[in-house]
Amino acid sequence: MLDGILFEKVGVPAAAIVTDVFESTGRAMARSWGVPDYRFLSMPHPIANLTEAQLDQRAREIAPEVVKLILQGQE
Amino acid sequence: MTTSLTSTRHAVTDLAQAMELCFEKGWTDGLPVVPPTEAAVRDMLEAAELAPGEELAFITNRQVAVTAEKVAINAVMAGCRPAFMPVVVAAIEGIGDPRWAYHGPGTSTAGAAVLMIVNGPIARELDFNCGDNLFGPGWRANATVGRAVRLVMRNVIGSRPGTLDRGTLGHPGKLSYVIAENELDSPWTPLHVERGFRAEQSTVTVMAAEAPHQFYNQLSSTAAGLLTTCCDDMRISGNVVGQSQYALVLAGEHMRTISAEGWSKADVRSFVFEHTQNTVAHLKRTERLAGPVEAGDERARRPLVASPADILVVAAGGRAGAFSAYIPGWGSRKASEAVTTLIKDRRA
Repeated sequence: MLDGILFEKVGVPAAAIVTDVFESTGRAMARSWGVPDYRFLSMPHPIANLTEAQLDQRAREIAPEVVKLILQGQE
Repeated sequence: MTTSLTSTRHAVTDLAQAMELCFEKGWTDGLPVVPPTEAAVRDMLEAAELAPGEELAFITNRQVAVTAEKVAINAVMAGCRPAFMPVVVAAIEGIGDPRWAYHGPGTSTAGAAVLMIVNGPIARELDFNCGDNLFGPGWRANATVGRAVRLVMRNVIGSRPGTLDRGTLGHPGKLSYVIAENELDSPWTPLHVERGFRAEQSTVTVMAAEAPHQFYNQLSSTAAGLLTTCCDDMRISGNVVGQSQYALVLAGEHMRTISAEGWSKADVRSFVFEHTQNTVAHLKRTERLAGPVEAGDERARRPLVASPADILVVAAGGRAGAFSAYIPGWGSRKASEAVTTLIKDRRA
């Protein structure tokens, strides 16, 4: 999340992804850095114990959103 | 530097209303706080000879400057005597140190608290408990200094449950988690001297830490026997594979038994390092390490800590009772390590 904010601050497009239970934490970090409306993506929690196949599926599902966010930017 | 206090003033009619206002504003840890009047805040700053705007820490990942004024306000709220303020300041400097790396242990689901170990003459002058009921309530210095640090984390740095404090369980040490080393009874080199300070200096060591895990053995009369009991408990604890630091708090009976054999703290560290290692095979079978058990895994060993130096040995606790405790640190030492800071005796 912070990496994404820092990349954007130096003009490098980025898409940060959190799991859904951390949306409130991501928003709080964005407020800390003075970008309260910072846009980031979210996927279901948890991910640490997923199988390789499940992870691949998650990646396939969110990839279009990543591309869209990077192309749109933070505006 | 200006001596003006810049924090917002709130008008109240009496003490009860002031205490309720602090609850309403979300400034407390769930217990009532002492309302921070300007006079009390000034006394706190004066005791540490600090200007209100002096920056004591900068939390990079939060972009938060922690000023002396805010620390003083929270120290008053926590119930500190002004004389405790230099200890609170040293602890804040510790958690603001890049080696402690605030954002990880301050936010993580692992729910670490800030274990604070006070060493040196100030521990005795200010009556920090180093004996009976070590981790329990009953001592103002222990209870309020740790509470002040936690209130700063909450009210200044933003570590609030549900947003920037995501501890899944947390533990009671997040209210206050302060001990002193029993330097008068201990036969060993004090922690702060091991960490580069002089015995007559006073320090606070901050470590991101789980709750204390008590272990018991009153049958054994040998250092190896007692520490084997400790290692049996400790081998599978904490993050297990993360290689965090650990604190090992040896109370009276165990301290005397171990030291009677001539064991130093370094000997304790070396023994515990050797006897808390797991085989890679076990860690894989129990799914703490990924992957199938392979040739050599039954013999390959993974130490619980990266080095014996990552076990902080502290002599503290009651004289009676065959109990001691180990305390797993947070995450890994690479992500956060214990920091010892000098308590500046500004009165001298």
